[in-house]
Amino acid sequence: MALAPDPDAALMLRVKQGNTDAFAMLVDKYKQPVLNLAYRMLRDAAEAEDLAQVVFVQVFKSARRYEVSSKFSTWLFTIARNLCLNEIRRRSRHPVDSMDTSHPGQEDQPLQQFEDKRTASAPERLLYGELEEKIEQALAALPENQRLAILLCRQDELSYEEIAKVLGCSLSATKSLIHRGRETLKQKLKPYLQTGAWHESN
Amino acid sequence: MTNDPIYNHLRELSWRRKLTDAEQAQLRAWLAAHAEAQTDWEAEAGLNAALSRLPDVPVPSNFTARVVQAAEREAAAELRQSGWKWTVWPRLRWLPRVVLTTVTVSAVLVSCLVVQDAQRKRLGVSVAVVSTVSALPGPDILKDFDAIRASNPTVVGDDTLLTVLQ
Repeated sequence: MALAPDPDAALMLRVKQGNTDAFAMLVDKYKQPVLNLAYRMLRDAAEAEDLAQVVFVQVFKSARRYEVSSKFSTWLFTIARNLCLNEIRRRSRHPVDSMDTSHPGQEDQPLQQFEDKRTASAPERLLYGELEEKIEQALAALPENQRLAILLCRQDELSYEEIAKVLGCSLSATKSLIHRGRETLKQKLKPYLQTGAWHESN
Repeated sequence: MTNDPIYNHLRELSWRRKLTDAEQAQLRAWLAAHAEAQTDWEAEAGLNAALSRLPDVPVPSNFTARVVQAAEREAAAELRQSGWKWTVWPRLRWLPRVVLTTVTVSAVLVSCLVVQDAQRKRLGVSVAVVSTVSALPGPDILKDFDAIRASNPTVVGDDTLLTVLQ
């Protein structure tokens, strides 16, 4: 069966020829998912932004070697994954005070606040804000590979096979990572999940 | 939790995206027949909803422009750093061959000149030898050689005298 042509790959071939407009289009398309992934892996907004920038610069610099052998998004998220893991390893070797580190007297402060653009009443916003914080914390506590697998799983562009490629493991190992991560999340978030506050018609 | 393939398939689909109407109907029918899985499904659906509610990280409005600028800057820096390798070197790739050829041709030429010079010197020596030979008497001097040789028998030693001398 012939694969559908990947429009991103076509853009990337233009980038390979030095076309910066095509590169800007790719950055525009993927900046949000890459930044989301980087933030949830590093838990630091400024570092996540820097890392996302490095991911795209790496894409531009590697364009010369780009071959249309797999989907562009798979290649992009593989670069993002490698850089995230490198950064996490670098941090573990050279621990420094993170901007998100709790300070004395501020233990109850949420790690990061985001504006919720969805329409909701004030009490609802408060509730959702708290719930979101709980799941952010539960996600952050997962082992890196499980967290990465769960986050990639939410990317519409990637199939399970492609997630496995990004993670560099087999399909069954990928599904196992997701399953184990989700089981941990379900355990940690059990009281909140039971309230039905998050429930949507699925 | 159940290991039923239908349920597992629908559950794995729900991890990635919202189920379609047909898939939801299939799930409802399956759950109606397997009430024990209802709690597990509710937790799965709750977690799916929770994960989908995670907010996007705010992206600065100039992010794309900054990335493009940084990429161009890095590419230019890389080009400068590897200028010799990527720009000068391809243009001078012929240089070693030319140098090798020049050295080889020069060596051959010098060898030829040395050999030629040596031959010239040997020729000069030969000419000098021949020039001294021209001073010898001519062949006329030997015209009466046979007659003289015949009239002058070989001198035989005086054995008596030699005995006395000894």
